[in-house]
Amino acid sequence: MRTLRGAITGGIIALACAGSARAQDVQGRAAALAAWDDIHAVVSHPRCTNCHVGPSGLPLWEGLGYGGALGKEVVHGMNVRADDSRIGAESMPCRTCHISAASANSVPHAPPKIADAWRLPPIEMAWKGKTSAEICVQLLDPDRNGAFTPEELSDHVGTSAFVAWGFDPGAGRVAAPGSIPEMQEALAIWVVGGTPCVGDP
Amino acid sequence: MKLTVNGVIHDVDVEKDMPMLWVLRDILGITGPKYGCGIAQCGACTVHMDGIAVRACQLAAGDVAGEITTIEGLGTPAVRHAVQEAWIDLQVAQCGYCQSGQIMQAASFLELNPTPTDDQIDAAMSGNLCRCGTYPRIREAVKTAALKLKAV
Repeated sequence: MRTLRGAITGGIIALACAGSARAQDVQGRAAALAAWDDIHAVVSHPRCTNCHVGPSGLPLWEGLGYGGALGKEVVHGMNVRADDSRIGAESMPCRTCHISAASANSVPHAPPKIADAWRLPPIEMAWKGKTSAEICVQLLDPDRNGAFTPEELSDHVGTSAFVAWGFDPGAGRVAAPGSIPEMQEALAIWVVGGTPCVGDP
Repeated sequence: MKLTVNGVIHDVDVEKDMPMLWVLRDILGITGPKYGCGIAQCGACTVHMDGIAVRACQLAAGDVAGEITTIEGLGTPAVRHAVQEAWIDLQVAQCGYCQSGQIMQAASFLELNPTPTDDQIDAAMSGNLCRCGTYPRIREAVKTAALKLKAV
């Protein structure tokens, strides 16, 4: 009897713990999905998507106030295209106008510069036009995210000159929402919560 | 700061954010590169930095990282660059204001892509505007220069 009572008591405690763990899981997942929304707000911003374009190799000029026909993408001027090299080497290199330098971007409408070679990301890293859920799954795929683990994405955000420029583009350009520390914090919450994506089972 | 232009080292006393075009034209008296827009939208100021075409109007002197070559350093009247030769052969220029930029762009382009298609020529030269509309002659001259360079 004593054994049975003990077993029942133990079972109740175990159930309570399991319930608590499940509750924590649910909370962690909810927090992670909310953090993903913050991450998505950044990666879907024109400061990012203007270059994360697909096989066309045509960068965009969205979010610069240059207009364009309703519902039509505002394509980069001068007929530029990144070509297979993704740096325009076959026609006009990005660096003809985008100088590699760490100095401030202070001239309105002039091409932005960063302390890195301006270029388009590889085609497999294109996410312009994709849904939040699609981009989420993509960022978990090393073959399509630049070969980063979810944990390493935070380091990338902290060291990439492109990411830094997106948050501080200068010369009157609209910046991506938030900051590098906020992006890294959101990534940390997303990782701790199991890197969920909208629509995951 | 020290800047190498057309093979000559110059010690210039200028602010780091002075556009290289100002340094060339106003400080060094090298007036081949022209001012058009000041924001890399027209290509009239095109020079080379270590062989790559760049827009001098928005290249800050402090950001220069390499040797600068202007049209004056591309060739000489006696020994012209193949692109300059083709420009003369086909009488490309109308008013001529944009032409040094066009030639510098074309010369750099042919270094990177010696056997371009018409489509690639058009793409490469699209950042260099010509208000006289000499584009058909520019394309033909680039093709002619490509053949000349190939024959060398």
